[in-house]
Amino acid sequence: MKKMKSYKLLIVFSLLLSAAVPGFAQDTEARELLANMSYHVSAGGMPYLVVNTKTKIEKRFVPVPGIAFTVFLDTDSSIISKGITDAAGKATIHFPVALKSAWDASASHTFIMETAAMKDFEQTRSEMSITKAKLLLDTVANADVRTIHVTVLQLNNNEWLPAGNVELKLSVKRMGGELLIGEEETYTTDSTGQATAEFKRLQLPGDPAGNLTLVARVDDHEQFGNLVAESRVPWGVASVLTTGSTERTLWAPRDRAPAWLLFAAGFMVVIVWGVIFFLVVQLIKIRRLGMHS
Amino acid sequence: MGILAAFCVVGAYAYYRQLTHGLVVTGMRDYASWGIYISNFVFFVAISLVGSLITAIFRLADVKWSTPLTRIAEIIAVSAIVFASIIIIVDMGRPERFMNLFIYGRIQSPILWDVIVIGTYFFLSILLLYFPLLPDLKILSQHKNKSNKAFNRLYRFLGSFWKGTAAQFRLSNRAINILCIIIIPVAFCIHTVTSWLFATTYRPGWDSTNFGAYFISGAFLVGAGGVVVAMYVFRSAYRLERYITPMHFDKMGKIVVLLCLLYLYFNVNEYLVPAFKMKKPEAQHLSGLFTGEFALLFWFAILAGMIIPTIMLLFKKGRRPLPMFIAGIMIVVGAWFKRYLIVTPTLLHPFLPMHDVPANYVHYFPTWEEWAIAIGSLAGALLVITFFARIFPVIPIHETILEQHEKNEKL
Repeated sequence: MKKMKSYKLLIVFSLLLSAAVPGFAQDTEARELLANMSYHVSAGGMPYLVVNTKTKIEKRFVPVPGIAFTVFLDTDSSIISKGITDAAGKATIHFPVALKSAWDASASHTFIMETAAMKDFEQTRSEMSITKAKLLLDTVANADVRTIHVTVLQLNNNEWLPAGNVELKLSVKRMGGELLIGEEETYTTDSTGQATAEFKRLQLPGDPAGNLTLVARVDDHEQFGNLVAESRVPWGVASVLTTGSTERTLWAPRDRAPAWLLFAAGFMVVIVWGVIFFLVVQLIKIRRLGMHS
Repeated sequence: MGILAAFCVVGAYAYYRQLTHGLVVTGMRDYASWGIYISNFVFFVAISLVGSLITAIFRLADVKWSTPLTRIAEIIAVSAIVFASIIIIVDMGRPERFMNLFIYGRIQSPILWDVIVIGTYFFLSILLLYFPLLPDLKILSQHKNKSNKAFNRLYRFLGSFWKGTAAQFRLSNRAINILCIIIIPVAFCIHTVTSWLFATTYRPGWDSTNFGAYFISGAFLVGAGGVVVAMYVFRSAYRLERYITPMHFDKMGKIVVLLCLLYLYFNVNEYLVPAFKMKKPEAQHLSGLFTGEFALLFWFAILAGMIIPTIMLLFKKGRRPLPMFIAGIMIVVGAWFKRYLIVTPTLLHPFLPMHDVPANYVHYFPTWEEWAIAIGSLAGALLVITFFARIFPVIPIHETILEQHEKNEKL
């Protein structure tokens, strides 16, 4: 009986131990590195890539800094750039001039990114294909109506063809971000690659000349990437920043102190120090009286 | 004097370290940018009010019994205001930048108002010490054998022109009366403006319309407490029992009770009103004072600085010299901690929560250099008082003789 009991205990203990072992093994596995690229074309028409590296820790995505990577254009032999992700797990890649001819040779390209094996992460490889595209921003202003025409064109056999069914955003640049031009969040290009929107933000303060900067943006298109186009239009209300620098206030510079404060402080100082001066004169008189007596 | 001088030397060495290494030797950091230096400054400014209280107000009210106390009060006022100026320069860290205050000063700044008022009050206090001293200087010069050569030379330099003629007395009395009148509003200004250094901000604990009156009432209390302590010390040290009598302690005790109750009233206003509303920014600050990190200091300052002295001094036995001295010490010590509680807790409860900062930013505790400088400044003020008391008569001789004559004539 006793022996049976001890065998049972031994079996239970062994089962527990074997269950614990895989638990320890969990900690030694390398985490999965999620590395991706995004293609961007700036308002000036310059393309660039943004590399992003992150990993999942306890159901949260956490950026991974310090990951070395190499980006290739179409083949492993055509290096665009090498780099290391920053503290935010990001890196920006600009295309070298040497690749211009390769870049211009085709309307579509594939970007290949390889990350090096690191202490906690294995080597990764990812690819992204894009087709060259561009945004054209045009504006028409009548008496009461201001209209924005956006055209999305994609390159196909050296020809710019309209790109339909592309979702884009139209907004106005403000100090803290971008303000949508109307109530619609997005606009979609038609078969002619065009989208039209009415500019409804009348009376929007602009710069001192009344100019606003319109922004058309395609975000994360699977074929075209991220495209941006800007246009400066005189559709705002001229705003002159009044700093109140000519006003006399408590918070103005010293040469703009409030008149009432200058008067009050000056009056009090003159009165009190006048009295002190008078008292010193009395002291001198006392001294003179003493000298003469 | 040797002990006080030793404290001053240690304080001077600590200041040398501060000048050499910078304010990093202190416990002050990004949040607690004001610490015990500013507490000391406010304390010195408060205690300097005693000059206008005892000398000016009592003179104008023709309170004859206060005559033996006026010289003590003025000496305390002068030394306190000198060290208030010194400790502010110490707190600046870079003393040469003091000139920027005048070169680039803005009249809209409460700091500039404070500098102007402190300077003005210093000169008025010096004059209020000097004018009544003139007749005594003559008496001291006439009794050369009672002093040493250096002191005699000093008395001649300061007052040899005083002959005691009717014309001189007329001018002197008029000057003293004018001084007594003008010093009261200036003293009120100095404490109001010092309070505005805090009250003209939005910070919880400082954003209060009550601060001007709150500071003035506190200053009256600590000034009176300081005078009571000085009365007992000088009475014992110089055997002045005939001049500083139990009657003086009794009367000062009643005044101190009144001032305690007045200050307690302003404290109730200062804490109960925001506690009733408990606005979110204020809640953390008040909780810290009432039940949190500063609770021990806060309740000590309230109990030892106001409530216990009030209870003690309500009874005639409590207004005898020794209990009065103990009450005075409690008031002064409580007042120092009260000033610390005005300055530092607010700074440690900013509007935006402290986030991702080093541990020593979250709490403030003065380093040995700060303690040495603060104690050195207190010792320095006591040294100046002691120095004045050694050189000049602590009891106004001429005025006391005059009062004796008047009393005898009445009899």
